[in-house]
Amino acid sequence: MSALEYNGGSVIAMVGKDCVAIASDLRLGTQALGISSNFQRVFPMTDRLYVGLPGLGTDVTTLYERFRYRVNMYTIKEEREINPETFAHMVSSTLYQHRFGPYFIEPVVAGLSKSPTGALKPFIAAMDLIGCINFAKDFVVAGTASSKLYGVAEGLWEPDLEPEDLFETISQTLLNAVDRDAFSGWGAVVHVITKDRVISRTLKARMD
Amino acid sequence: MDNVYRSSGFDFSNSIRNHSLAEKGLPLPKATSTGTTIVGCVFKDGIILGADTRATEGPIVADKNCEKIHYITESIRCCGAGTAADTEFVTATISSNMDLHALSTGRKPRVVTAMTMLKRHLYRHQGQVGAALVLGGVDVTGPQLFTIHPHGSTDKLPYVTMGSGSLAAMAIFESSWQPNMTREHALQLVTTAISAGIFNDLGSGSNVDACIITATGTEMLRNFVKPNERVEKERKYTFRRGATAWKSESIRKLIVNEQVTPVAGEAMDVS
Amino acid sequence: MWGSQAGFGSLVKGVPSFVIPSVPDPAAFLRLHTDDHADPSCKIKIQHGTTTLAFRYQGGVIVAVDSRATAGSYVASGTVKKVIEINPYLLGTMAGGAADCQYWETYLGVHCRLHELRNRERISVSAASKYLSNLVYSYKGMGLSMGTMICGWDKTGPALFYVDSDGTRLKGNIFSVGSGSTFAYGVLDQEYRWDLPDEEAQELARRSIYAAGHRDAFSGNTCNLYQVKEDGWQFIGNYDITKLHYDGPGEAPGNGYGYDIRVEGQTSTDLPATAGQA
Repeated sequence: MSALEYNGGSVIAMVGKDCVAIASDLRLGTQALGISSNFQRVFPMTDRLYVGLPGLGTDVTTLYERFRYRVNMYTIKEEREINPETFAHMVSSTLYQHRFGPYFIEPVVAGLSKSPTGALKPFIAAMDLIGCINFAKDFVVAGTASSKLYGVAEGLWEPDLEPEDLFETISQTLLNAVDRDAFSGWGAVVHVITKDRVISRTLKARMD
Repeated sequence: MDNVYRSSGFDFSNSIRNHSLAEKGLPLPKATSTGTTIVGCVFKDGIILGADTRATEGPIVADKNCEKIHYITESIRCCGAGTAADTEFVTATISSNMDLHALSTGRKPRVVTAMTMLKRHLYRHQGQVGAALVLGGVDVTGPQLFTIHPHGSTDKLPYVTMGSGSLAAMAIFESSWQPNMTREHALQLVTTAISAGIFNDLGSGSNVDACIITATGTEMLRNFVKPNERVEKERKYTFRRGATAWKSESIRKLIVNEQVTPVAGEAMDVS
Repeated sequence: MWGSQAGFGSLVKGVPSFVIPSVPDPAAFLRLHTDDHADPSCKIKIQHGTTTLAFRYQGGVIVAVDSRATAGSYVASGTVKKVIEINPYLLGTMAGGAADCQYWETYLGVHCRLHELRNRERISVSAASKYLSNLVYSYKGMGLSMGTMICGWDKTGPALFYVDSDGTRLKGNIFSVGSGSTFAYGVLDQEYRWDLPDEEAQELARRSIYAAGHRDAFSGNTCNLYQVKEDGWQFIGNYDITKLHYDGPGEAPGNGYGYDIRVEGQTSTDLPATAGQA
């Protein structure tokens, strides 16, 4: 048992057709004992940019506050919204700064990035706890159920899913993976980000 | 919260906490370490670098198509093996410093300069920064090829391999490398060496990336060979819409629709 | 050995013995490969997480268990039978090493039958549990891992004994064993009475296993419920813990055990929909 597994929790993000989805479970525990079934670990950073922070509970809160502060400072100084790519590098360099005394978080970034022409392009990325970025074109996973999520997502994901279909795919992937993980589960939340709206749903999940 | 614009370098502020967690039986998790095959070889007109594209977390393939040939300058590139974050950041840092160096000297910096910067950085951190590198490029002195080990030692050889697949790749070089090879021949050799790593080393896999650096220019051959393409799924696994039961929903509309309703009344008095 | 030669039919040739690895200290050798507390990457993982409970009351003995098996954090199975039906009058529960419990409680069944043949009467629960307790004590320190409850009905009426691989054997009214036992005890202690009617006793057992399945990461999936009466044990049913959470045990929904289901629309942070819209 490492500090990454102490509180449990998992996050997954997937790319769809002109949309992305990010989902996580809602459990916070201390090892085997479940404490909360309403612990949010996915946060909005801008309108079309979300970050998931699975890992040690105390660092979820610390890093969220830190990123919120830095995104606000960026918005004020640059007088524009931060890009998902830029934000991912900001997260990455924050984690690497703590290379020899890390935060126990493996972040997942999901959002729509604006190209110079104004078109929106799906963006997802995952990182290890010292900030090595994994840019993926399909899906990324992190947390205590990551090994199970990899398997299910590899089987269920397919390209160009419409927002409603992407919701079903990411939800079923998460739900079925966390049911095979003792430290994840206890409810789930899914955010589907499209160009004109963000749909957030809390799922009916197994509660054991 | 402390200042965002902190001084450069590593931050050890979590070390005491993490040490106490370790003593309580929560050991430090291992960072992503990449099993890798990276190679470089000298040929008639320059350097060819090669790499596989698999990134692993223990037994799990985290990324099936990552980039391991990093940009240093237009005519210098660097392949990385070892702790993934370290190879990524150490090459980015040195790339940045090479730019500054070019600006301050007014000359194109040499490969040895990059090599010296890298080895000093790695030696200073006493192997704690776990980057094993193959550095190659062409400068005023001609084609240059180096390997740099995590503790800061370096080699200068006509053909080099590194990473967990280095033995498989070196077997190819040892049997087939010749001086003054043609571009085609050398590229073929590098591809074979990386393929040997991909197929014989469990830590390496997926595709072959190659980078050809000559005095006239640099050619990055991303996914030069793709011997492990996934066959298309024979069946679709899309779920019927409404298959997932959910408890609550909140929709955030990002586009504001404003409807202007003219209110009946007298025209404004503008007299 | 094959067929009846390999099984319990060969008892005429004496008690079967185990093949021991040829190392100086077999017990230390076993511990080296099975103790996942000392070494989380050990090769053989023994099932640990569980919730089992049994209690004695006016109407007999109620036995309830969960059905989850975990290997590390991996939920290896959600349909494990943790109640071992030793014979029509005796039940054993499974906590600790699954194989240890299964093997030795089946073995106990053989000897209970031999007792019947020799003495022309059924073995008492007390004697059966003592037989098991003495047996595991003879293997003390050699790596057996069991925490079991032997439940049944004999001349003395309903009977319940706790037996574990340390050699402990306790007679009692209420027991719960496993990683989720503290949660089960919490519910059990609150609601338990000797004169519980059958229906309420079953409900209490279900509710207790639910509590453990909900809170404990290593317990869950489903609840298996048994009742022992004068004419032997009876299987009452299998209940999905998540269904118990949302809908409750019956066919009609709306009786969920879940805290957030029971207080839905009643707390200050979660007002009824009508109030929210006012």
